[in-house]
Amino acid sequence: MSDKSTQSPAGRASGAPFYRLRLFVAGDEPNSVQARHVLTRLCEAHLGGRCAIEIVDVCEDFHAAIEHGIYLVPALKVESPPPARTIVGSLSDEAKVLHALGIAGKGVEP
Amino acid sequence: MSKDRREPNELVERLAQAEAALDALRRGEVDLVVGPDALRVVRLKPLVEENERLAREWRTTFDAVKDAIFVLDADQRILRCNRAAEKLFERPGEELLGKHCWEIVHGTAEPIPECPILRMRQSLQRETMDLSIGDRWFEVEVDPILDAKNRLTGAVNIISDITERKKAEKERAVLHEQLQQAQKLESIGRLAGGVAHDFNNILSVILGYGDILLGKLHQQDPMRDEVREIVTAGRRAEALIRQLLAFSRKQTLQPQVLDLNEQVRNLEKMLRRLIGEDIALDLALAEDLPPVLFDPGQLDQVIINLAVNSRDAMPKGGKLLIETSAVELDKAYAAAHTGASPGEYVLLAVTDTGCGMDKETAEKIFEPFFTTKEKGKGTGLGLSTVYGIVKQSGGNIWVYSEPGKGTTFKIYLPQTEEKQKTREKIVASQEISGGEHILVVEDEESVRNLIKSALTRLGYSVTLAANGGEALLLVEEKGLKPDLVITDVVMPNMGGKELIDRLRRTYPGLGALFMSGYTDNAIVHHGVLDQDTPFIQKPFTLQELGRKVHEVLASKPS
Repeated sequence: MSDKSTQSPAGRASGAPFYRLRLFVAGDEPNSVQARHVLTRLCEAHLGGRCAIEIVDVCEDFHAAIEHGIYLVPALKVESPPPARTIVGSLSDEAKVLHALGIAGKGVEP
Repeated sequence: MSKDRREPNELVERLAQAEAALDALRRGEVDLVVGPDALRVVRLKPLVEENERLAREWRTTFDAVKDAIFVLDADQRILRCNRAAEKLFERPGEELLGKHCWEIVHGTAEPIPECPILRMRQSLQRETMDLSIGDRWFEVEVDPILDAKNRLTGAVNIISDITERKKAEKERAVLHEQLQQAQKLESIGRLAGGVAHDFNNILSVILGYGDILLGKLHQQDPMRDEVREIVTAGRRAEALIRQLLAFSRKQTLQPQVLDLNEQVRNLEKMLRRLIGEDIALDLALAEDLPPVLFDPGQLDQVIINLAVNSRDAMPKGGKLLIETSAVELDKAYAAAHTGASPGEYVLLAVTDTGCGMDKETAEKIFEPFFTTKEKGKGTGLGLSTVYGIVKQSGGNIWVYSEPGKGTTFKIYLPQTEEKQKTREKIVASQEISGGEHILVVEDEESVRNLIKSALTRLGYSVTLAANGGEALLLVEEKGLKPDLVITDVVMPNMGGKELIDRLRRTYPGLGALFMSGYTDNAIVHHGVLDQDTPFIQKPFTLQELGRKVHEVLASKPS
């Protein structure tokens, strides 16, 4: 099962990149729950409406994980803008996540 | 940013991803590992948490051990150490890790020759050694860590503080030594006492008949000098035997309630003459000293003997200090001193500034015939006499000495709650017989006959009995009614005291005079007769016997 949520497309006109994100989670396992919270917060704070997040629960659809080459869950796959990248873990290190998204976090080098 | 960094090659990228994945795994941020099918999904978080919990638990346990522990690799480098190890070597763990254990434990550049790990490498089993660090003692135990093929891969090194145990062992050794010493003195005393007892009877006969012979010889008889020599030699032997008896605690004491200070003050003048002008005598006598129960004559002998000993230790002069004080010995003191019991004591300390002695000499000093003086200068009985008297009186004596510094003898006498009696002066009496009838009970035939001979000469009528039973027969069955019974204290079957008690049932006011070479604990409690019991110590002169008999008869209620 996948949850798809698309933020407001208002940002598209500004020329800033639109983010296509896929978050692989394992039901309500603690790291997965945390990853979901962190990602939602970061997107709201830093991306505005410029992102579409698809949540894939591997417990219900593990084939999706295999198709995407995901072996450790939770994992965040940044599908666009390129290059494609994957961040494994609960996303607790927010600065690192922002860096991976190409957004310089506070006090973090780009 | 360089072009290479902007376009990382694929391998570097993959490695970076793998590292990031491992990092997430290590941090426990992964919930699942996805396998080729859904059933292989593994939940990792609980495993990581369990792993962390076990690691914490291990660390807590490791740190809770009060002994210092090092886990070593095969080269004796420290892989892990617990908090006790950090504390013992006063360094944080990170400074200890990676170092060779000998650098930390011994401060050396290589293992010490007696290193237990060197032995453990051969034996592949626990090896130990005792080690002193500063003023403390430690036991080092090393256990090998072996792999499946029994090859040494490391070691566990446990360092335990055993200072208290070492201290206790040392104290036990001292106590054991003291006990052995006391037992040795006890057995020498028993031997000496036994010999002295038999000698007393023999001496009584020699001296008694010597006296009789002297009495019979004409004043001008040329043989008088020879006989007098025999008697004089006998007297010298008698003095020696008395000292032996004192040491063996077999002499008869007649203790009184005494003020130790008064006793010392009475002796002061005599002591000053005894020690000579080159030695200064200081008295430090505590006020309000509690009384002690002690035979006054014996106490004088104790003080004089110690003073003589001190004098001889100070041939070039010095200082002699006699101190008294009231002290309380606690349980700890008693536990550390064999034979001592906790309680309230009066301390008599005699200290000199003489040549002192080493430990070996001090251990032997109370043994009879042990002397450091030149041949002919001392009998070696002075301090053994002191020892015996003090012990028999329920006290303890300890010697503290250092070569070149001097010696202190400390005597602890139990305090008494009895009141001091005014000493009655013995009025010299004349030994004139009124022809009284005396029953003599003595198991030694030669002594028995001697006493009869002597008393008959003094005008008494004498009946002899060889033992208590014979005496009872004479009095109770044959109606003998003596004015006085002279009896030996120690006799087979019935002792003198029991005999007199029996006879007094028939004649309540019967006069009794006890005599003994020594007293037996079983008959007279600790060899001590009541203060007022008439007693004569063997061997005695005929004059002494006559005087004593007269005294007892004179004091008898008519």
